[in-house]
Amino acid sequence: MTWKNKAEAVVIGGGIQGVSTAYHLAKMGMKDVVLLEKGTVCSGSTGRCGAGIRAQWGLEMNCRFGLACVDRFEHLHEELGMDVGLNQGGYLMVAYEEGEYNQLLANMALQNRLGIDTHIVDYDEAKEICPGLAAEDAVGFTFNARDGHADPFLTTFAFQEAAKRLGVTIHKYTECTGIRVADDHVVGVDTNRGSIDAPVVVNAAGGYSQFVAKMAGLEIPNYSERHEILITEPVEPGVCPPMLMSFSGNYYIQQRPHGSIIGGCSPEGHPADFQLGNSWDFLEHMSKTFTKLLPRTKGVRVVRQWSGLYNMTPDRAPIMGEADAIKGFFLTCGYSGHGFMFGPVSGDLMAQLILTGKTSIDIDPLHYRRFAEGKLLIEPAVV
Amino acid sequence: MKTTEVLVIGGGPAGLSAALEAASRGSQVTLVDSDLQLGGQLIKQTHKFFGSEDERAGTRGYKIGELLFKELEGLKDCIDVHVNTTVLGYYKEDGVVSLSRGEEDYFRIKPERIVMSTGAMERLIPFPKNDLPGVYGAGAVQTLMNVYGVTPGKRVLMIGAGNIGLIVSYQLMQAGVDVAAVVEFMPKIGGYWVHAAKIRRLGVPILLRHTIVEALGEDVVSGAVIQAVGDKGLEGDPVRIDCDIICLAVGLTPTAELLWQAGCDMQFVPELCGYVPRRDAHMRTSQSHIWVAGDAAGIEEASSAMVEGRLAGLGAARSLGHVKDSDYDAGLASYWQRLSHLRAGEVGEKIRSGLEKCSCDAWEV
Repeated sequence: MTWKNKAEAVVIGGGIQGVSTAYHLAKMGMKDVVLLEKGTVCSGSTGRCGAGIRAQWGLEMNCRFGLACVDRFEHLHEELGMDVGLNQGGYLMVAYEEGEYNQLLANMALQNRLGIDTHIVDYDEAKEICPGLAAEDAVGFTFNARDGHADPFLTTFAFQEAAKRLGVTIHKYTECTGIRVADDHVVGVDTNRGSIDAPVVVNAAGGYSQFVAKMAGLEIPNYSERHEILITEPVEPGVCPPMLMSFSGNYYIQQRPHGSIIGGCSPEGHPADFQLGNSWDFLEHMSKTFTKLLPRTKGVRVVRQWSGLYNMTPDRAPIMGEADAIKGFFLTCGYSGHGFMFGPVSGDLMAQLILTGKTSIDIDPLHYRRFAEGKLLIEPAVV
Repeated sequence: MKTTEVLVIGGGPAGLSAALEAASRGSQVTLVDSDLQLGGQLIKQTHKFFGSEDERAGTRGYKIGELLFKELEGLKDCIDVHVNTTVLGYYKEDGVVSLSRGEEDYFRIKPERIVMSTGAMERLIPFPKNDLPGVYGAGAVQTLMNVYGVTPGKRVLMIGAGNIGLIVSYQLMQAGVDVAAVVEFMPKIGGYWVHAAKIRRLGVPILLRHTIVEALGEDVVSGAVIQAVGDKGLEGDPVRIDCDIICLAVGLTPTAELLWQAGCDMQFVPELCGYVPRRDAHMRTSQSHIWVAGDAAGIEEASSAMVEGRLAGLGAARSLGHVKDSDYDAGLASYWQRLSHLRAGEVGEKIRSGLEKCSCDAWEV
């Protein structure tokens, strides 16, 4: 692809945030958008994720955000002209402790107030929703049928192709090496292939966003955490139609359309570094979780395990907004494990912010200045 | 967790030789193989080997296997053998290997040194209905007949006129199975003339510049369509062949997953038929505690695999302090001399040029 050394906006990162932001910028009329990706599109956290989509959150803002995402995902294939692998089997939240169940009920009350149709189900109903389930030891369940999961590769490629049709330039194997700032305004980027002048630069670098911020002289408190995940060989579809999720059980598990079951949990004791390795203790731990929760998986082979980076913030809510002292430098990062589901909407909101200064959902609380001001957004419903 | 000095993964000719060498030099060895018995491809090879006396020329493959098993019996105190045991993964961060005995018994080993002698996988070629029951790899056909005494069917179409395609065609005929034809895409027979001559004498056509276009049949193979190929693709009329077995002998590729998992420097070498680990003259990979031997290091044949196994076993034993320098140098020189003989002449030219691309004398420390 020919190299042009000028653009209206440069987006750094070819995961869901980057392609969605680039797509929405072009859709809203920006003519010359360039996306930089140091590897290949979807090769980072997006392509490694558990791919859940849910409106069952515990913070009002996240509920609104999540509901907007469910709405958006339901029509994404029409808008982008490509299947995104949406499967709305719902999210079945499983509580094993009283306190946890009470939290789910409190979340449900909030969700219902916001128009999210979450409801309590008993164990029999839970087994109808998820025929393969074994959770006699659970205290209770909540369920929202519109939640589910999508295919992160299809979704990202759908955004990429739609963005290309709107004139976005995508440079693969192009690593941002520096961000140029003059008079408190971003003026361009340097890369391993040359530099580009641009008045707008978007940091959508996922697990590496803190380094990209630093290139502009900005310190953000993000850190990256390795999370592991595995996939089994296929079993008959219908064993686990919903996404199963439990905070005390420490798992999220879903079945792919072809029958494989995929699942992960929060890491224990792994240092925050950038090693995308695998561990046998995860394999053993997760195998036990699988076979207890879904007895059908006993004797089924694990075909692959891998890991990806969660880009974490201190309150596990994302950073969205424009840098205070560097005009034109925008951040959309720190999604703390939920970037894929938020991507279609957050890219839209970022484009609105960049082009109009206003957004259809209030994202001001998500500015990184909340950390200095002590206005943290603590979300109770995360694994 | 179980520990061992040398873990040898794969008990074919290379792995058996590596285990025997390392154990005879004083190492405590664990040898694992996913099959129900050791020997790899040797136990199904009923043809006589070539080469020099050192390489047991004139002896049939399975007889060479028996000699190795006898040697193993003499070293059984030093070699812990696990058959029906598949390595599931290698965990680079702590060097742990996870394994499964059968489908049930999962366990781990933490080895000090590893020899990866995982062999090769058969290649397949794409054509419509190539997943019908009745489409076999040539290795699978050889296993069925020569290990289990089962003929795969009544009439076979063989795809590929390399040594494996020719030898398996002959073995099929020995077992009373019809071979309809041997189909070869290239303009020349790839295998040795002596193997080709044997099946031509029995009246089997070898169709050069032909390929399989599709398999026929609903639930199982009932035939195949073949066609001539020219410079511009398919030419002439498609021809229907009646057969109940389509046997693919279209080459092998190194089984390299564990080498990738271990983070060994890998290189694509067409002459060695795929991605192979870079190695030094001791068969040591870029991971200083991992050696490689046999087809996993590049597709060659069993004689050189056995010598490479000896080299790898010797290297692993020396790195543990079990071998005196003078003994090591003598072993190294003699094994390399044998390898040079095996790889000499026109026949070894491809291997030599392939090895040149992925070998170094020694890794920089």
